[in-house]
Formats: sequence, C-alpha cells, structure tokens
Amino acid sequence: MRGARTLLCIAFGLLLADSLNAYGQSAPSREYQLKAVFLFNFTQFVDWPPAAFPEDTASLVIGVLGDDPFGPYLDEIVQGEQVNNRRLTVRRYRRPEDIGACQVLFISKSEDRNLGKVLTAVKGSDVLTVSDADAFASRGGMIQLATEKGKIRLKINVDAARASSLTISSKLLRSAEIVASRDD
Amino acid sequence: MLVSGPSHITSARTEERALHFIDDMITRNAWLLATFCIVSCLALIAPRALAQAPDTIPPPSVLKRLSVEQLMEIEVTSVSRKSEKLSETASAIQVITRSEIRRSGATSIPEALRLAPNLQVAQVGPHQWAITARGFNSTTANKLLVLIDGRSVYTPLFSGVFWDIQDVLLEDIDRIEVISGPGGAVWGANAVNGVINIITRSSKDTHGLYAEAGGGTSLNDFAGVRYGGTIGSHTSYRAYGKYFDRDNGVFSNGDDANDSWRMGQGGFRIDAQTSTRDALTVSADGYGLNENVFSGGTTTASGGNLTSRWSHTLSATSDMSLQLYYDHTQLSNPEPASQFSPGGTLKDRLDTYDVDFEHRFTLGGRNHLVWGLGYRFTHDVVGNSPPLGFFPPHLDHSLVSGFVQDEIALVPNLFLTLGTKLEHNDYTGFEVEPTARLRWSMTSNQMVWAAVSRAVRTPSRVERDLREPSQFPVILAGSSDFESEILVAYELGYRAELGSRVSASVSAFYNDYSDVRSVSFTPATIIPLFFANNLEGETHGVEFSATYQPFGWWQVRAGLDLLKESLHVKPGATDINNALNETSDPERQFSLRSSFDLPRRLELDAGLRWVDTLFINNGGVPAIVPKYSEMDARLGWHATKQLELSLVGQNLLHHHHPEFGVPGPTREELLRAVYGKVSWRF
Repeated sequence: MRGARTLLCIAFGLLLADSLNAYGQSAPSREYQLKAVFLFNFTQFVDWPPAAFPEDTASLVIGVLGDDPFGPYLDEIVQGEQVNNRRLTVRRYRRPEDIGACQVLFISKSEDRNLGKVLTAVKGSDVLTVSDADAFASRGGMIQLATEKGKIRLKINVDAARASSLTISSKLLRSAEIVASRDD
Repeated sequence: MLVSGPSHITSARTEERALHFIDDMITRNAWLLATFCIVSCLALIAPRALAQAPDTIPPPSVLKRLSVEQLMEIEVTSVSRKSEKLSETASAIQVITRSEIRRSGATSIPEALRLAPNLQVAQVGPHQWAITARGFNSTTANKLLVLIDGRSVYTPLFSGVFWDIQDVLLEDIDRIEVISGPGGAVWGANAVNGVINIITRSSKDTHGLYAEAGGGTSLNDFAGVRYGGTIGSHTSYRAYGKYFDRDNGVFSNGDDANDSWRMGQGGFRIDAQTSTRDALTVSADGYGLNENVFSGGTTTASGGNLTSRWSHTLSATSDMSLQLYYDHTQLSNPEPASQFSPGGTLKDRLDTYDVDFEHRFTLGGRNHLVWGLGYRFTHDVVGNSPPLGFFPPHLDHSLVSGFVQDEIALVPNLFLTLGTKLEHNDYTGFEVEPTARLRWSMTSNQMVWAAVSRAVRTPSRVERDLREPSQFPVILAGSSDFESEILVAYELGYRAELGSRVSASVSAFYNDYSDVRSVSFTPATIIPLFFANNLEGETHGVEFSATYQPFGWWQVRAGLDLLKESLHVKPGATDINNALNETSDPERQFSLRSSFDLPRRLELDAGLRWVDTLFINNGGVPAIVPKYSEMDARLGWHATKQLELSLVGQNLLHHHHPEFGVPGPTREELLRAVYGKVSWRF
C-alpha cells in the first residue's frame, strides 16, 4: 500500500536531514570524551612539587602535543575547576620545542614516531606524561590510556614517574596495571 | 529424537532484487511499517537530551564526578563496540553484545540468538528450537558447534544441541560470538556451518548483588539472583541461582499443547590472578528441569559441569592456556507408542571429560601462530526404550585433536592465514580440516576477506547405533558404514565502518557438500531403512548486515540472508526422502531492530523479523511452514540507578503462528506473549 511507503520515505527523509545537521557537532568520540575526563582526574591524584609551577598563583596547565583529539571538550571539562587552589587551563603545542610551563602533557598518537625525543625533552621537568600511543608506558611514558575489550585501562610506569619529582596517589595506582620500562 | 526432519525443494525461481523484495514485504505489512514510522517520528521530535540510560555516555558534569574505577567500566565504543574483534577476523562473524541482549527482552539463549543476523532461529515449541546457520535446519540440526566459555554443549547422540538444557544467567553474558561458515582450523569437527561461542563475564566485572524477577503470559514466572565479590586483592567470585516456569504452546487449532516446563539452575565462578603472568578461572553449574510432553508423560533432565582454565603469559609475544572440563548430563524422555512398537522411556547419561591446550606466539614479527592439542572422552549410557534405542547402550568414545594455524603478514594490511585441524575419532579415524584465509585491510575502516576451507561433520550415535524400534522388525537403523559429511566452503566477505555512524558487512558463500546423510534402503528388502551418505550438492548465499546510529540515542540494525540450496541423491544411490529431508530453510530472511534511548531514563526497543516459506518434507509429501513476520518490543525504565523495570511483548503480530514443523494436528504454534520484569543492581 502506497500510504505506508510514503510514510517510510518521509521518516527516512527527516532522519537524513537531522543527521546531516548533527554532523557539524563538536563533541569528540566517546573514547576521547572519556580520556579527557581521565586527564582531569589525574590532576587530582598526582602531587606536583611547588617548584613545578612558575609562581604560587599560576594555573595548572594541561598541554596537548600534536594532533588534538579533544577539541573544545577538554576546555569544557576543566572550566571552573580548581586543584589545590589552582585553576586549570589547556594549552596546545605543535612541536616539543613549543612546550611551555606544563604539568600534564598529553602526547597525541600523531607524535608516536618522535616519542623518544619528546620524552627526553621533558625529562626532569616535573611533567606528567600521558598518552594513548601504543606501548607508551613501556617506552618510558608515565601513564598510558589503553583500550582493552572496549574499555579504558590505565598502565602506569612508576619508575618513569619516580625519576621526576611527581607522586602518584595510591588510589590511582590501585586501579592501574604497573608496567616496567622495556629495555631497548 | 526422531530424525524425520523437514526438507526443502529446490526452487527454479530467479532471484528477486533486494529492493523489490523489501517493497513486497512493505506492502504486505503496511500497518506494521506505519507503526515503525510513527515511533521513529516521535523519537525525532522527542527532546534530544541524553537519557541517563547506561548505554549513552553521560554529560561532562556527571563524568567528572565518577571515580576512576567507574570511568573504567564505561564502554568506549557503541556502534563500533565490536570493531576491535571484527576488524581482525577473516570470517563472517557477528557479535551479540550484552546490552543488545538486555534490551531485546530475550529470556533464554535461543531468544538471544535471534539477534544474530546470520543465524536461522526457529522456535518449535516452549522447549524446542531449530537453530542453524546457512541451511540444514532441523530440531536435530547438526552442523553447528556451540560452546559456552569454551565448553562444547553438543550431544553426541545426534551431534546437535538440546537447547532447553543450555541456560546461563543472561545478565552475566559478556557477548555471544556467532561465526557463520566453517569455523576454521581452530574449532574443529562439527563446526561445519558455524560456531556459536557464548562468553560470560569475568567475575571481576560482576561484583555486588543482582536480582531479577518477573512473570507473564508464556513465561509464567522467573527469578534470578547473583552475588559477586572479592577474596583478597587478586581473586573475584560470583554465585548465582535462577528459576523459571513456562507455559504451554498451542496447536494450530488453538488447543493447549500441554508442554509446560520449568527449570532451576545455579552455579559459581572464580577468577584469580595468581601471579602477574597467570590467571585461573574455575566455574561450575548445576541444573534440573521438568517438561510436560504433549503425548503424555514428562521429560526430566539434570546435570552439571565443572570447568577450569589456566592462562599463562610466557612473554609479551607468547601465551598459553590449558582448559579442563567435566560435564554430566542425564535425561529421561517418554517415547510414544507407534504402530510398530509400544511406548517407553528413553534415558541417557552422558559424562564428558575434556582437556584442551593452546599456545599462541609471534614468530619473527610476521607470523602469529596458534597451535593446540585436545582430548575428549565421552562415556554414554543409554537406557533403551521399545520405540527407540541405541546399540550398544554403553559407549566410550575418544576424540584426539590437534591444530595449528599461522597468520602471516605478507605485506602491511594483507594477512594470509593457513591452518589445519587433525582429529582422530573412534568412528571414522583421522579427519583433516585445512583452511586458507586472506584478509586485506583496504583502508583503516574497510576490510575484505576470502577463505577456502574443508570441514567435516562426524557421525553421531543416531547414524551409527540407532534402532527404531528397538525390537525386531527394525524399521530405521544406524549403519557402521556411515561416514563423515564433508564440506568444502568458498567464502568472500567485506566489512566496513563508514563514518562513525554506520557499519556494514556482507558475506557470500558457496558450499559444496558431499556424503550428506540420507535414509537409504536396499531394494531387495526395503527395511530396515538405514543411514548412509548418499546425498550431495551445494548451497550458496549472501548475508548482509548493517548498523546505523544517527544519534547517540537511536540505533537501527538490519540483516538480510539469502540462501539457495540444491541437494540431490548420488547417481545410482537411494534415499527414501529423495534428498528432501535434511533441509528446511527459508530462501530469504530479514530482520530489523530499532533501539531508542528516551528521556526520563526510558529505553524502547523493537525488533521485526520476516522469514520466508519453509519447505518441509512430510514423509515424502512436500508441505510448508508459511512465511511469517513477527515483532518483539521492550520498554525499559531505569527508575533509579539500581532499579530497572521492563515490559516486554513477544510475537506481537499474531495470536499464534508456527515457525517450524510438519503441518498437522500436532504442529505447535507460538503464542503472542507479554511479561514484566524488575531488576535490582546493588
């Protein structure tokens, strides 16, 4: 019967129009929404020494190095939040040389090839290095956000963290898999 | 237990184009489609606020307040939740996720299997199902391998599955992987047309108390409870119990079929991380059921199993596992009297001991190897009945198997897998099942695969040891000459994720069967009829499936299967059913599911299925199961974080309809049914 067929076409037409509309929206994928919240969580479970900040009133900076998978979502997450009386801000860096005062550095998968260089560049500067690059933790990164069986898992390289003056709370260590640096 | 299965007559009709077919279907079910459209439009108009249903990701304000552990529980992907597994499998695999099972309102494993677009699922009655992939369906379908957590659940009596016995607390299923086509070297004999692997969640993921209860018109009452916790910091456990009570089906004239039944089951599971490199899982289940049979009497079954699995990581590129299980099944089935013999009770007691070892490792960066060894011992004791018996009544049977498979990275994104399984069974000796598969990741989200495989279906006790009736004169008998059925399958497939909203897959197959079971006779004496391997032929078809998620709160899944079968009797050989008895399959099968996350923490799911006519052989007289369309729907409400209420309607379109069986006064039909359920999660 033609009536039903017409109804179906209308319904699909509406749905198509709406989905084209939705295409422009800015929220990142579920995966990166979750990872952004993890970054926020890390600021609360890690202690930076006072020397890590240029001054008492400086904000806690979350830096994103390389291709930015979060977009404005990460800024939205940290807006209005405070950790130890410090505001949170997000900075984006294209190259390791551009990294300024930064307490949490998220290294995008796009920098995978230069990982060694990046980690050496920030060594000793009290930066918590985080990434979802392959085997990040065993390559010397501090916290790796790995996806296993559809869920996010944390892999923490305690030695790398200890080499800087950062203290990672036991609450965070408890939920993570502890990884050792691979001898290369 | 009788092997008088249905059949399919080969059709000389030409293929209709898919569009034409859908059009046809639409015309026939106009009012149903109208309902779908109206619901869809309502959903479009509804405010786009994200419901707090667990399936959608919460807004930032909520996410920020979750603990790290809670964040780690959220699933990263929705449409592509399965993408990790699917993108690497060179076969026609479908994954049924836990949330799909919950939202469909399925109350049993066969009902959950309806969600796999590549399976044919037909319900015969309240406790009987005919399930297969790619043809050869019957209540004793024998070309599918079914596993629950690696434990094989098929019966050597007829190489099939007693679906009423297999039960799991559905809440604790992690996923069901359904592969249509020969499972490949890893799975082995009887994985001819497909493999179903029901995987339950680790007890690490099922902490706390879960309770459910409900009742309805066909599913009279049911209840289930599970409690999970930890022992120390490295061990998790859970224990569960469940019970249900189901009502009769009806005959085509609407009379009660008097086959209500009930079942109780309980069990536990322990998962321990005994060291950084070792994990141990131990699980056990026990069950008992009682079924009324319409011909009089009751069927009872009880049993249990104990499974343990140890995995050990040898290095970053090598790990192994060892699995042992013991399964005990006993059943007692009333067998009605026939014109050839008085009635009686058939009893069976089966003990299965199985050990399987597997080692996976990477060699030289290009080769991923898996190899394994297995041994299974079954001890079967049958208590024969006058209408039906197995001779010898006691049978001990050994199965030794080994397999090896190598996935070679020829060039980046092109993988060749070569593998074979070698088995030795007491009936036919050595069987070899080699496979070659090619997988090409054309782009990061599109994949093409092709495969050629040989698979065998080894004899079961029916083909070798049956006597129907037990006493002289025997009408139908097994034969010690019955050999394995052989399949050579050629497959081709394509899988893609087209943007973040759409995923689709297509699989095509050409199956060349030889030595398929026939019921043959020697012209001189006619009886006894005996099982022989006198059929051969081919089947071919295509399986489509697609998922479309236009918004976070709406997902649509569609599936279409096309199948053409062409079996014939080997030249010069005999088959009393003229090659019609082994198959009872629809040429076309279509499914459509829609899931909505609505405001106020509501969820609405609806599923439509349409199955083409089945051609069934009725003792030489062709008969049919008429084509039908049916719909299930579920409305769920997360009243609080812990409490979920749901209302489910099944088979809503007709008061009763048949899905399988030879027409006649005793063909059962399924009733329209409704049930309500409450579940608590603490």
